[in-house]
Amino acid sequence: MHLVVQACILGVLTGGVYALMASGLTLVFGVMRVINVAQGALVILSAYLSWALFTHFQVDPFLSVLIVAPLIFALGVGVQLVFIRSLRSEQAEELSLLITWALALGIEGVLGAVYETTYRATNTSYANSAWTIFGYQVSVVRAYAFGLCVAVLVLLYLLLARTRFGRSVRATVQNPSSALLLGVNADRVRALAFGIGVSTAAAAGAVYGVLYPFNPGSHYDLISRLLSIVVLGGLGSVAGAVAAALMMGVVEAVVAVEISPVWSSFSYFVVLVAILLLRPQGFFGARERTL
Amino acid sequence: MLLRFDSVVAGYGRGDILRGLDLDVPEQAVTCLVGPNGAGKSTALKTLSGLLKPRAGRILFEGDDIAGLSPARVLARGIVHVPQERSLFPLMTVWDNVLMGGHSMRDRGAVRRRAEALAERFPIVRERRNDRAGELSGGQQKVVEIARALMLRPKLILFDEPTMGLEPKTRHLIFETVARLHADGHTVLLVEQNARAGLAAADHGAVLDGGRVAIAGRGADLLADPRLGELYLGGSGPTANGSGGMNSPA
Ligand SMILES: Nc1ncnc2c1ncn2[C@@H]1O[C@H](COP(=O)(O)OP(=O)(O)O)[C@@H](O)[C@H]1O
Ligand SMILES: [Mg+2]
Repeated sequence: MHLVVQACILGVLTGGVYALMASGLTLVFGVMRVINVAQGALVILSAYLSWALFTHFQVDPFLSVLIVAPLIFALGVGVQLVFIRSLRSEQAEELSLLITWALALGIEGVLGAVYETTYRATNTSYANSAWTIFGYQVSVVRAYAFGLCVAVLVLLYLLLARTRFGRSVRATVQNPSSALLLGVNADRVRALAFGIGVSTAAAAGAVYGVLYPFNPGSHYDLISRLLSIVVLGGLGSVAGAVAAALMMGVVEAVVAVEISPVWSSFSYFVVLVAILLLRPQGFFGARERTL
Repeated sequence: MLLRFDSVVAGYGRGDILRGLDLDVPEQAVTCLVGPNGAGKSTALKTLSGLLKPRAGRILFEGDDIAGLSPARVLARGIVHVPQERSLFPLMTVWDNVLMGGHSMRDRGAVRRRAEALAERFPIVRERRNDRAGELSGGQQKVVEIARALMLRPKLILFDEPTMGLEPKTRHLIFETVARLHADGHTVLLVEQNARAGLAAADHGAVLDGGRVAIAGRGADLLADPRLGELYLGGSGPTANGSGGMNSPA
């Protein structure tokens, strides 16, 4: 029992980080029907930026979020304005898949040229510290990373639920032409939403290197997980993505201690397929979601 | 003349749908555009509200050419479009939907006051305020759409088949609402497939055929015009337009 609870704690902490990356991915899909397959590569790019800031300038990775996220936000807005906005044809969805995949490969190529394939990790002074709470071990960096991701998710929620901009995002998701007719500036909403969606990858990426070793090819594993999370949560549903990410974290961690770490990823995909067979629309299908 | 289409050409992809549309919409009156399914009625409204860019021609509103302006610009000129398909945000509350009607207003307090005033005028907004818009019936949604459209005190309201798919009682309610807007001095451009009901509710009418206005005139005169039946239903007369044809609000 102790082990299972311990595993659940770890699973929730891990899931929180994935929740943040996936929420940006699903938000972008909801607003513009674009599946940004570069989300994983942007996480890895952010991990490198944060690692470089730490290694060369001793900037704490949790503080580097304040530098990395705005940079990636600007990159996202730029990519949207230059490459994605101009896709006006009926094939915009397919073409945007190609464009974001090209972006992912481009990022991988540049990182490979600069850093080669050596695995890196951001080793802070507190990397191996742990708190003991009611007899359970809680890794300090994982707790910090979880806290950061929850904080960013809360900010994202408040932005979407409480602001005029958030209302125009929700309007665009629910009925794009109607939003246009009410004077919503669709180009602006799309560019900003894309920037916000990729900066969630940046925020999670800045602390990714504290949790896992990474190299330029790490984005393949990441994007396949992120895609499975957003599908399980219901494409376009931020709340669904959060629930699915937490479920993934817990299933993998529990299977790792109860059965074997070898089976942990596989077991999650079994659960994924089983749930999608029963509920093809994911946790929150288009009908019942709030956003 | 508040609005004038002048030889407007527009379409999607290859081929034109509007082939030189000329249409006048006088102020403080209801003008009804009728025509068979696929005649280009919705296309005309979309071209006016900026959803579709015209390929040629002018659209004069208060004397200025507004052809090709973005929907936000057209809205800022005082033209609001209630489209044919359902246009509420189904997951937002009725109240938030109405507030969205004032999206382009900067003064939040003014938006709220205006919405409260409309809630007085349209009881459904008051009664279902906190319900998700998608849970309302089709007719109730249409009324909320109309309330939302009035948020900006528009100079011209475009209604695209507001009674489509509604049962006779609700259809009657929508026509009553249009009549009330008319009585309050609003200018309305109404599109109806149901020629009889639409023209009966209108001061002026025009029949669209092949992307052009085939006949235009006073609503009552058009109703009596034998050419209407020929154009509109291939000679079988306007009253033959299904059971809906008999449901004029008069
Ligand atoms: N988005 C679109 N893309 C391509 N063709 C369209 C589109 N919308 C309408 N059409 C075509 O334009 C013609 C006129 O449509 P519409 O203006 O909706 O007619 P109406 O409102 O009079 O029934 C139809 O032949 C229709 O098939
Ligand atoms: Mg139509």
